[in-house]
Amino acid sequence: MKVLIVNNMAPFVSGGAESMATHLKRNIEIAGHQAEILRIPFQWEPATRIPSQMLMSRAFELEGVDHVIAMKFPAYLVRHPRKTLWLVHQYRQAYDLYDAGHTNLPEGQLGSDLRRVIKNADDACFRDARRIFAISDVTRDRLAKYNGFESTVLRAPLNDPDIFTGGPAEGYIFAGGRVNDAKRQHLLVEALAHAPRTVRLVIGGPPDTSADGDKLRATVERLGVQDRVRLDLRFLDRLEYARYVNGASAVASLPFDEESFSYVAMEAATAAKPIISTSDSGGVLGLARHGTTGWVAAPNAKALAQVMADVYASAERTRELGVAAQACWEGFNITWPATAQALLS
Amino acid sequence: MKIALCSSFVPFVNGGYRNIVEWLEASLLEAGHEVERIYLPEVDTPELLFKQMAAFRYVDLSAADRIICFRPQSHLIPHPRKVVWFIHHLRPFYDLWDSPYRGFPDDAKHRGIRDALHATDTAALHEASAIFTNSRVVSDRLKQFNDIDSEPLYPPIFQPARFQFRSMNDEIVCICRLEHHKRQHLLIEALAHCRTPVRLRLCGVAGDPGYAEMLEGLVAQHGLADRVVVDHRWITEEEKADLIADCLAAAYIPVDEDSYGYPTLEAAHARKPVLTTLDAGGTLEFIVDQQSGLIAPPFPEAIAKCMDQFYADRGVTRAMGESARSRIDELRIGWPHVLERLLA
Amino acid sequence: MKFVLFSPFAKASAIGRVTALLVQACAPLGHSITIVRTEQESLLDTPAHACDAPVIPWTDAAAVGAAIKAADAVVYQIGNNYSYHRGGLSWLGIAPGIVCLHDFLVAHMFVEWAAGRDAEAREVLHEWYGASAPTEFFAMKDPDAFVEMASQRYPMTEWVAAMALGVISHSQWGMPRVAQSCPGPLRVVPLPYDAPACKPAAPVAPDPQAPVHILTVGHMNANKRVESVIRAIGTSTTLRERVSYRLCGRVEPPTERALKSLAESLGVTLVVSGETDDAALQEAMNHADVVCCLRWPSFEAASATAIEGLLYGKAVVVTDTAFYSELPSDCVQKISPDNELSELRTALELLCNDADARNALAARGQAWATRTFNPTNYMEQLADFARRTCAAEPLIGMVGAMTRDLSAWQASREIFGDEYLTQPLQLFQIDN
Repeated sequence: MKVLIVNNMAPFVSGGAESMATHLKRNIEIAGHQAEILRIPFQWEPATRIPSQMLMSRAFELEGVDHVIAMKFPAYLVRHPRKTLWLVHQYRQAYDLYDAGHTNLPEGQLGSDLRRVIKNADDACFRDARRIFAISDVTRDRLAKYNGFESTVLRAPLNDPDIFTGGPAEGYIFAGGRVNDAKRQHLLVEALAHAPRTVRLVIGGPPDTSADGDKLRATVERLGVQDRVRLDLRFLDRLEYARYVNGASAVASLPFDEESFSYVAMEAATAAKPIISTSDSGGVLGLARHGTTGWVAAPNAKALAQVMADVYASAERTRELGVAAQACWEGFNITWPATAQALLS
Repeated sequence: MKIALCSSFVPFVNGGYRNIVEWLEASLLEAGHEVERIYLPEVDTPELLFKQMAAFRYVDLSAADRIICFRPQSHLIPHPRKVVWFIHHLRPFYDLWDSPYRGFPDDAKHRGIRDALHATDTAALHEASAIFTNSRVVSDRLKQFNDIDSEPLYPPIFQPARFQFRSMNDEIVCICRLEHHKRQHLLIEALAHCRTPVRLRLCGVAGDPGYAEMLEGLVAQHGLADRVVVDHRWITEEEKADLIADCLAAAYIPVDEDSYGYPTLEAAHARKPVLTTLDAGGTLEFIVDQQSGLIAPPFPEAIAKCMDQFYADRGVTRAMGESARSRIDELRIGWPHVLERLLA
Repeated sequence: MKFVLFSPFAKASAIGRVTALLVQACAPLGHSITIVRTEQESLLDTPAHACDAPVIPWTDAAAVGAAIKAADAVVYQIGNNYSYHRGGLSWLGIAPGIVCLHDFLVAHMFVEWAAGRDAEAREVLHEWYGASAPTEFFAMKDPDAFVEMASQRYPMTEWVAAMALGVISHSQWGMPRVAQSCPGPLRVVPLPYDAPACKPAAPVAPDPQAPVHILTVGHMNANKRVESVIRAIGTSTTLRERVSYRLCGRVEPPTERALKSLAESLGVTLVVSGETDDAALQEAMNHADVVCCLRWPSFEAASATAIEGLLYGKAVVVTDTAFYSELPSDCVQKISPDNELSELRTALELLCNDADARNALAARGQAWATRTFNPTNYMEQLADFARRTCAAEPLIGMVGAMTRDLSAWQASREIFGDEYLTQPLQLFQIDN
């Protein structure tokens, strides 16, 4: 089959969904088909521009394409008789974010008119789709709640699981990924101040803004824990990153209300490393289970400190939790071949 | 600068236009710019043309400092700094209207689409801050049909340093798709008239396997199996550079192509002269007869004379190769010049 | 080019006569044409104009469909008379084409079309004229007041223009409404007409005592200003003595009585001929010295009578409004509606007393009219316009597809009209 993967694009901004599409393409080709990616530029500011962007997607003719896999609004509005949706997200500012008051839709009649247009177009699209998959439980639930359509959860696999080979624990807790307030790496630093001196922490990843990096460095200074924490605040290439994971005693992922498992947790589990998380981390708790695959603490420094200390209590137990994390993760069978197969079915 | 390279594309058809976009991207990145490639689908069915064009009008690329548009109808994308590198019109509606290649009836409905397309293309091109084409031929067409002035900006090849002179054997090479339009059959027929032991090598993928068979049949028919190689397969870039490095000369004789074609340029970079014909189109913008190559009337006997000339007078052939190389600089064919013009 | 032309074709129809003239003009230009008769079914058998082209009734769906398919251009003659244009209106919705709009006011046709289509008709009124329009429109029962209201506020021009791929009309004055509503190109072309039985006036020495014949043609309702003409004649000694004023056309008995009574009381010689056949009408034209073609208010795009009067070489008197304002001032005598009686009297006295001036005016008018209201010119323009609408069609289709999506999504008027949607499409605008 000739399969076209259709996604949005924000010019000059490369996001997670970009590499997802690339890996999907590769795996569709491995499965014996031809695949290409169509990236449709999407501009949602100001909100009155959105109808034109929707019409843009609708105007494309896809001759010679046998199957479409579409991921986001409004790219998924593209016309094709055989279209499967892998819903990464809808235009949330017309739905849950609108309810929460975080929207660029204007107040008053115009705003509700735009919402109606978006919902009507979405409903028609979901009705006509061959199959609907959602990237996470939350996305599935939102779709059901706001548009009344069922979907199957199909999570994004890791792009490069083979580099997470695991290995002997070298005595540090690793926190990877983007550094910002929502990811809460600062909480780990604060916890360090309450934890025994054996606990060592490595934070490796790019700060969203220089202020985020500065804040973290300032916290380390303020608490005087420089000797126990290593800040490697920059974009790490995959092998560097994997080295940190593979040598860790445990891996921490404690974002606030995350939708998915979080890549950090998935990578840790692949490497058979136990996961430290917090009770309000949302989707991460699908992988991080206290006492089974790692530790889940209340989201405060003291509680975290205890958990971090526990990593060092028994090397054997820590290792076992890591193995269990790996088994748990593999049980989900979230792999690219399986994903590609589902999206082509 | 943030530069968006915009083109239409046909999914699963790897047209030659993708090269120019991707090679330009590489040069721009090398020069330190940020580049985004925008490929939007487009089918050329007359009834669907305009319905798709609205899409291009709604694309917002204000995040880019400049956009460069290639294949139609990408030149419809609005931007305050729109540069068009116009490769070709939708030719059935333009210069191929009165030809067997139109592909649809000459009736009131299609004339209406044609008239609307001409007006739209002209208006969209007027929005551009600069218009370049890939050849004099296309510039002339833009002037004739849309009354628009444009500057030919010749497309360079990717990493031209790969093509070097190494030696001169006795082979004339033609490395491009094996297609009736490219007229490899004419080269075989010509060789049959040659008096010197000059040889011919034809390499490339055949879109239609029947054509490759026909070529092999011709070779057999003329008893040229010992002097003609028909290598019907995908030739890698390395192989191509190798073959050109050692060849006697190159031949490129398509029917009325707009641009001189990459084969011409590859040979010239390797300091090899090019054999072409009077009706080949864009090659004549590059090849100067008896200097950078030889231009023959499109008949086997005349072409054979040129082939023999390459073989018989190697000194002159070598000198012509040097001249071909200088011709590149004369026409300022190169990525630095391209960047200078596109980013002016 | 191959044309299909939807038109009333009854002999009594002036538009039918226009159509017959166009048919004649086609062959020398290399065009071919098929006529589809559009009168309501009960009138489809009435005697038609003679012509060389095939004529199909609009009710023969198969034949009409085939003709449309084979044609390069589809054209609809549309006017305010529902019984004449019923078939055209019906097909216009199915097979969009060029509308040759004969009346800018088509509210009467709309009323008859609206019968049995109440919801749809209200929808149309609401769309073009606002929320209060449907109620107001259908509440107005008095015919004269209805005309007044409709010509000011609800002419229904937009309703027809919106269905067309392009609109040709015959004067400028009503075009702004068309421009607001027609998605395609517009053009003004002078209405083609002829004077088939025109007899050149015998050169006669001007006789100051000879009677002067004034003629008014058409359905004698109030807007023809017959009463004003009678009064103008009646309040002038010269005119009273010399003028014989003839009315050719349908007149309701009460109106006839009133006019005769007025004429008698003022001492005006009035001849009411009533409805006359073609031959008699042509004879009346030939015989007339002055044709009075006053209108107030006016809703035609062009007046066949005025054009005929000019083509027949008569001195034509018109009201300075609408189509008539656009006639050259040295070819017709224009009367201001604000000062009607006084100006009319003065003008008629002049035309009566000064035969040379009268003949000179008539001659200039005839020369200009012959050049202008020319069927060959019209067909050439129509063919050229058809090419323009063919170029507009892909764009109309483009907008149509987007409109369908937006409507399915229940987009509001505000969203439809948003700049982000409309501004980028201005590139496609064809200059008319």
